[in-house]
Amino acid sequence: MDYDTQLKVQTYLDGELSPVESREIANLLARDRDAVALLGELRNTRQALVGTEIGVLLPESREFFWSKIERDIKFQEKRDAQSQAVSAFSLGDFFHSWRRLFVPAAALSALALAAIMTLSSGSHVSLVETAVADPGAFTYHDFSTGTTLVWFSYPAEDNDNSSVAK
Amino acid sequence: MTEKDYSSAEDPKLVRAAQQGDMAAFEELVARHRDKIYARALSMMRNEEEAVDLSQEAWVKGWQRLRQFQGEASFGTWMTRIVINLCLDQLRKHKRQRTESIEAMDEESGGVERHMPVVTINPTAGLERSELRQRIDKAMSQLSYEHRTVLVLHEFEEMEYKQIAEAMECSIGTVMSRLFYARRKLAALLADLRKSE
Repeated sequence: MDYDTQLKVQTYLDGELSPVESREIANLLARDRDAVALLGELRNTRQALVGTEIGVLLPESREFFWSKIERDIKFQEKRDAQSQAVSAFSLGDFFHSWRRLFVPAAALSALALAAIMTLSSGSHVSLVETAVADPGAFTYHDFSTGTTLVWFSYPAEDNDNSSVAK
Repeated sequence: MTEKDYSSAEDPKLVRAAQQGDMAAFEELVARHRDKIYARALSMMRNEEEAVDLSQEAWVKGWQRLRQFQGEASFGTWMTRIVINLCLDQLRKHKRQRTESIEAMDEESGGVERHMPVVTINPTAGLERSELRQRIDKAMSQLSYEHRTVLVLHEFEEMEYKQIAEAMECSIGTVMSRLFYARRKLAALLADLRKSE
């Protein structure tokens, strides 16, 4: 009996052969004593293993084993909470630092775009100014077209009592 | 739930309570299934201390992943798979660290089991369970970790060849060869033990 056939006898025992191959092995077992002996040995080994884990006991008391698990769970939860707090802080810091760069850069880009549009339209009279009282606001005037662009580098107030300029 | 309620509650009820954060319910689950989880780890690792440590780690992971458990299998089966994966990871680490003996390499490359004489008598017939377990333990400890693992996954965990191949990151053909070698070697070892009586 060649090795491949031996493996097929095993696979037949394990129920993983295709129907065609199962019939082939069944036919072999009907006429080949060596194949029958091999199947018997494999079956005996399988049977010997059944139930060998029954009766195996963990060699620590219920209380002691649980105390270690509970300690590890609490330790992990504490560590996860700390790393989440660090991540949230870092994300906020990261966003804030980028915002500090992004907002003025965006303001300059908007003003540059306005200037390019004005120049390309042939108008030469324009003015960019920053209010002394509010350094976070950039104002661009184009006198020829009567266009005024104001860029605020901070979000609008969400305040019901704020006055609205008219 | 009172302490009495926990001890009489069925697993699904305890799992639902534990999923809501009830650690006492989880403790009851640990108490019920700890021996089974440990036994599976011991079958794979053949080392009591490692088996205890990996069991403990499995229970911590079980708590962390409890919300993912949807009841597709029994809780015990789900926990067993966690400890098996931990054992497989540990065994892979061992394999990277140890040097292979010539015998182990011969075993891995295969061949000897094709020519072993067939054991025609049942070498475990008539043995008491404790005696049988001792002999199985002794024989299993003489297998390499690859052969022991495939045997445990197939015979105890009842995994199919394809599932074992995925778990062990090898081909189905390799699973079949290793299983064949492990079974034949185990039969020969058990027969030798019987003869030495």
